[in-house]
Amino acid sequence: MTSSFTDILLCKRIPAGLLAALVVLACGYAAAVHAAGTVPPATAASAAAEPPADAPTPPPNGTIAYVLTDLHWAVWESADGKTECPKGFNEGNREHFKKLFPQDGKQRTLLETQLRREVDAWYPTTAPEQFNFLEAGGPTAYGLNLDYKIGQTDFTGPDGAKGVDNQLYRVLGCIRNYRPPEGAIQGFDNDEVTKDVYNRVIVELSGVESLVNDDDVQVMIYRGRDPILLDATGKNAIPGGSQRIDVRWGSKFIQKMHGRIKGGVLTTDPSDFIYPWAVFYIATDEFMHAARFSLNLTPTRAEGVIGGYLDIESWYSQMNRSYSTHHQSYGQSSAPSMYKALRRLADGYPDESGANTAISAALLARWTQVNLVPASKAQAASIALQKPAPPYAGPPFPRTIAEETAENNSQVASAELR
Amino acid sequence: MDLSKIAALVGCAVLAFASAASSHAADARETESYVRVPLPPGFRVEKTELDGPVFADAKGHTLYRWPFTDQRVGNVGDPKGQSTCTDVKSTTNTGYMSPYPPGLILPELDQRPTCTQAYPPALAPANAKPVGKWTVITRKDGRKQWAYDGFALYTSNLDQRPGDVIGGDSYEHRGDNPAMRVPVQPPPDLPPGFNVATDRTGRMLLDGRKFSVYASDADAENKSNCDGVCAKTRIPMLAPASARQHGDWTIFERSPGVLQWAFRKRPLYTYTLDPVAQGRDGSDEPGWHNVYTQRSPPPPAGFTQQNTAAGIVVSDAQGKTVYMYNCGDDSVDQLGCDHPTQTQVYRLSMCGAGDVERCLNTFPYVTAPAGAKTDNRSWSIVDIDPKTGRFARPGQSGAVRVWAYRDRPVYTYAGDKHAGDINADGLGEFRGQRQGFKAYWIRDDFNARTRSGE
Repeated sequence: MTSSFTDILLCKRIPAGLLAALVVLACGYAAAVHAAGTVPPATAASAAAEPPADAPTPPPNGTIAYVLTDLHWAVWESADGKTECPKGFNEGNREHFKKLFPQDGKQRTLLETQLRREVDAWYPTTAPEQFNFLEAGGPTAYGLNLDYKIGQTDFTGPDGAKGVDNQLYRVLGCIRNYRPPEGAIQGFDNDEVTKDVYNRVIVELSGVESLVNDDDVQVMIYRGRDPILLDATGKNAIPGGSQRIDVRWGSKFIQKMHGRIKGGVLTTDPSDFIYPWAVFYIATDEFMHAARFSLNLTPTRAEGVIGGYLDIESWYSQMNRSYSTHHQSYGQSSAPSMYKALRRLADGYPDESGANTAISAALLARWTQVNLVPASKAQAASIALQKPAPPYAGPPFPRTIAEETAENNSQVASAELR
Repeated sequence: MDLSKIAALVGCAVLAFASAASSHAADARETESYVRVPLPPGFRVEKTELDGPVFADAKGHTLYRWPFTDQRVGNVGDPKGQSTCTDVKSTTNTGYMSPYPPGLILPELDQRPTCTQAYPPALAPANAKPVGKWTVITRKDGRKQWAYDGFALYTSNLDQRPGDVIGGDSYEHRGDNPAMRVPVQPPPDLPPGFNVATDRTGRMLLDGRKFSVYASDADAENKSNCDGVCAKTRIPMLAPASARQHGDWTIFERSPGVLQWAFRKRPLYTYTLDPVAQGRDGSDEPGWHNVYTQRSPPPPAGFTQQNTAAGIVVSDAQGKTVYMYNCGDDSVDQLGCDHPTQTQVYRLSMCGAGDVERCLNTFPYVTAPAGAKTDNRSWSIVDIDPKTGRFARPGQSGAVRVWAYRDRPVYTYAGDKHAGDINADGLGEFRGQRQGFKAYWIRDDFNARTRSGE
């Protein structure tokens, strides 16, 4: 090894400006959001520059894979929460139950109370409810500019990128369950990404000539079959582990996308995306229309944003089946209220009646480099790609708005509801 | 080809089919052996299809215990030496499964049994004497009750015939299930270092860590042909020098001085690549099989199975996932609410938002075709009044003949549209564990739900 190469490894000869740029790219989400959230410029000034001489070398055979290790719904928070939640945080199902059925000495039946609220959760409608749902506001949210427009309901990214589409943030942002670090559901959601092999999502890039700039990259999504390689603490994923591709049970998760890398950030073209997210061993999946990945890449890690139009019924089914009333109560979620908010704020993919069925959303994701077992890659290559099946359509015989309204009107309500 | 050769080929095919059939039949006939222990007068052991051998009273009714169990904000069941199952009818919930508060009036009180009506105590005569692990406790009402290993014993009003285990089960329930009644069983006849556990597919033989044990078609009786490369992933279950063969268990010398266990003359191994306890990965290689002390009866003709993203589920003739509904209430008695003799209020709330027609459309029964038969008791055909969900009266107009598992109807879900859909799995309170719908898993490679009865 020459002294000049050693010096490079020890960062003695990397120009200071380039070193600073590499640190920025490796460390934060902000660069990813900025790069991906802006409307693609039309001028030739955006043409990919030649990678600097000291840029990371291309991966072997132009291929690199990463395994998902962290996943959260993208909830931006101000220091005191008042910017996005000036009226405070939402109450949840426990508080709603107390207000609907107060301890006023009247004996009530389990049917008219507990089972009634379970019906409200499992057969939700868009009927107005008795409670005032607090939507997250403020100018800032994580996410991507999904429609390449700057609209009235859009946010600005934390780095100043305009036109961020993330209406799901308005639903989740003022619910404690979804606010890190203490939000219970976002914590469970994230823990299960590494704990449950069912959630082993892998992204493999091929045709990669440079991890800094490459305008034509193939992206494959797989579900893995193995635990993640962790460090000695058992808490942190480390690069270099191996993964078999799950070709037996996970064939529906094998998906192909196209992307490009610019300035060390992978951006994929919009594509329907189905991914597993099981919590407490209920095998559930989620579905995003026109999903895009925007990931900062290094040879050992990737992190950034996945944005798209989240199918509401799939999301709600996953949430309700995984958590049910009990776990939702930890961080003050109320499933019926959330459903109404989701449908109210939905902004994509209208059904035959014109009602939107999907909501713009963003996930914050971290990945760690992994090596795919060659034999399983060969097996995966032999499987014909399936177009993701249409997402779950919700209760096949839903309750009507009139039914819920009639039940609300007949219910004994508390004296003061928000 | 001359007729003699054709006859020979046909004969071989018949013999091969008969051999396979008899092998399956032999598997089907095999039942689990147990260790004989002293019993109180009249008590006996009954062999059951799904749970293996169980202790039974003089009438052959399965004996259950009710282990003390933590709930979310309280606990219920019997501590050792005591029965908490009384003659007093519970009328309100306990609130032990938060966030719902206590004090809510339970459904259909006029039809609700007391704990002792649902689970009659196994009463002991005044002069009863302890025998082995069998002891006698005194109930709060002064009557004497048998106990085994310290736990008070009961029968179930759902069990009608010897061998029925409808009032409880022996799955390894976890998490937020109701406080289950568990059949009391004689010790299984196993050498040290082995376990047996109830799985949807049978009573599965496991090692001391509860990982699956396998056998190979390539082995001969009491002879292993697995060495070299094979033995790198198939680890022989070795027997110590002091081990003694007995019953179904034999020991042979696989190499000088190295002794290996065989069960029913089949050498036994574990599989290094099994990712979870009680797994199946080792039987994916042709010629290798999980080992069972007894197999469960398979679903009847007409049922199929579907691959899902997590494993295999039983499905109906059209390939739609089959679901079971399970329910235990949050009373101090933890009574069931999922059998056609019990309240249907909970089920109706989940299956149809309280509306019977919506329920029948959303979760239709799996109807049994005319002439359908079953050759076992685990799967049965029952007549149901669709308007109430209860058993129909004999000859009742409008009754439907439906398939049932453990005497409880099974369903499909109208929201499942594609092969392998499991959109109602976990639909209910506490992921369907407390009251709700569960897919009928026969293989789950991710979360071992076949051993938790889910």
